[in-house]
Amino acid sequence: MEEAEVDSPPLRQIGVKSPPLLAPFTTISELKSNRFLVRNLIRREVRGRYRNAALGYGWAVIEPALLALVYWFLFIMLSGNPDKMYAAWVLVGVIVWGCFAKSLNGATNSLTSNVRTMHLVYFPRSIFPIASVGANMIVTMMSCLVMLPIIFVYDLPITIHLFWVPVGVFLAGFMALGLGMMVAPINCIQRDMQHLIRFITRAGFFVSPVMWTAEMAMERGAWGESALWNPMVVPITMVRHGLEGKIVDLPFYIIASSIITAFVMYVIGTIIFSKYERRAVKYL
Amino acid sequence: MNKTSIKLDDIALHFPKQRNIVSIILDFFRKRERNFTALEGIDLEIQQGEVVGIIGRNGSGKSTLLRVISGIYPPDVGKVHAAGDISLLAGLGTGFSAHQTGRENALLYGSILGHSEEEMRKKLDEIIDFSELGSFIDEPLRTYSAGMKARLGLAVASAIKPNILLIDEVLGVGDPSFKEKSKKKILNMVKGASTVVVVSHSFGLMTDICDRVILLHHGKVMCDGAPQDSIKKYYELAGEVNEEK
Repeated sequence: MEEAEVDSPPLRQIGVKSPPLLAPFTTISELKSNRFLVRNLIRREVRGRYRNAALGYGWAVIEPALLALVYWFLFIMLSGNPDKMYAAWVLVGVIVWGCFAKSLNGATNSLTSNVRTMHLVYFPRSIFPIASVGANMIVTMMSCLVMLPIIFVYDLPITIHLFWVPVGVFLAGFMALGLGMMVAPINCIQRDMQHLIRFITRAGFFVSPVMWTAEMAMERGAWGESALWNPMVVPITMVRHGLEGKIVDLPFYIIASSIITAFVMYVIGTIIFSKYERRAVKYL
Repeated sequence: MNKTSIKLDDIALHFPKQRNIVSIILDFFRKRERNFTALEGIDLEIQQGEVVGIIGRNGSGKSTLLRVISGIYPPDVGKVHAAGDISLLAGLGTGFSAHQTGRENALLYGSILGHSEEEMRKKLDEIIDFSELGSFIDEPLRTYSAGMKARLGLAVASAIKPNILLIDEVLGVGDPSFKEKSKKKILNMVKGASTVVVVSHSFGLMTDICDRVILLHHGKVMCDGAPQDSIKKYYELAGEVNEEK
């Protein structure tokens, strides 16, 4: 056994935190220096989700496909004859919205569900919401494999714009991360937050273009167009248009506002998280 | 060459109490904070090379004190200083995933404890060897017995050689033969680390390995001295408490 005393390290203060205002940057560096841990946590979550299932990861595709089938049926019952691509658009909507909703719920509960780990060891706690969102993004990318048969069935062109598919998924997850980091510490103090967030992800389903598309909204005049300000319109439409093989066809200011919203939420989220995370952990 | 390894200056830690909507509103009007004081006025200096024990009754703040030293809870008052890397040995196998193999769990648990990827790859064989799991290492963890999980946990946790080692009641896991082995391993770690703080209820062990024992009572240091003195004081306190009842 080596003598640890050979080069005695200097005394340093424990638990000095960097200023919260720098949190948007420190979060990235924490992610970078803990990437082995993040990778392992993501793997645990993804493996755990499809455990002991004969179809295993197949459920990442089956679940949104079945859900889309139900909504497609519902839509035909309600309004008759939809566009022939409608079923595919609902499926895309379900997948991308699912990425946002699951990431947001996961990030909100990421601290409360890892109490035992937090009581055992200290590492930057931003790792928990990041790993949770990361796992959901990976599952969503697996779900996106269902788009391959769609491209084949509808005979869609395979173009460079397919690149928008992962970008849209990332944007949806990134938005959920910012929002989730805002509420995760609050959820430690009062669990009301997780109920509120669960409601938001359910209600948001209808005001976001899951069962409808941006084009349908624009046909409805001013009221419909105001719905485009929902920041989730851009990621979902991005994936749809990317799949269709065209550039994201939305007004520029709508795209810009969505991306800016995502960044602002990330900045506010990381700042709130780093400011309150320590206090919040005492409630656990 | 007495060098300070851990230094606590006048530490106090309060835990907030969980409240419902009625008490939140009432407290707001009464301008009152509902707190539970877990630690108060803790001044402590531990030198390099020392093995320090902490004893006290349940809820006296022993585990909380270790968590404060390792940075899990930031103190409300006072400052904590430490030299070198700290590792807390508690709740072996926390974060294990039942659906992954022993090997994957070793990597997962190692990364949770802060090992780097390189380090883990290098030590993986040694860890598997020590855990005595044999071919089970590639089976999912849900097929393991409690003892097997504990063995894997200890094997991973003991692969690190920190400057400061904090041990919270993890001595002796598994079946009797492994218990001996695990105890030996932990004692080895104690020798390898430059500074050790142990929380335990086994006073025999404390007198054997500790240079100094601290008695905590209701979050305050009641006695800080030779093991026998603190243990004697512990029994005096316990006696008093019993008489009160």
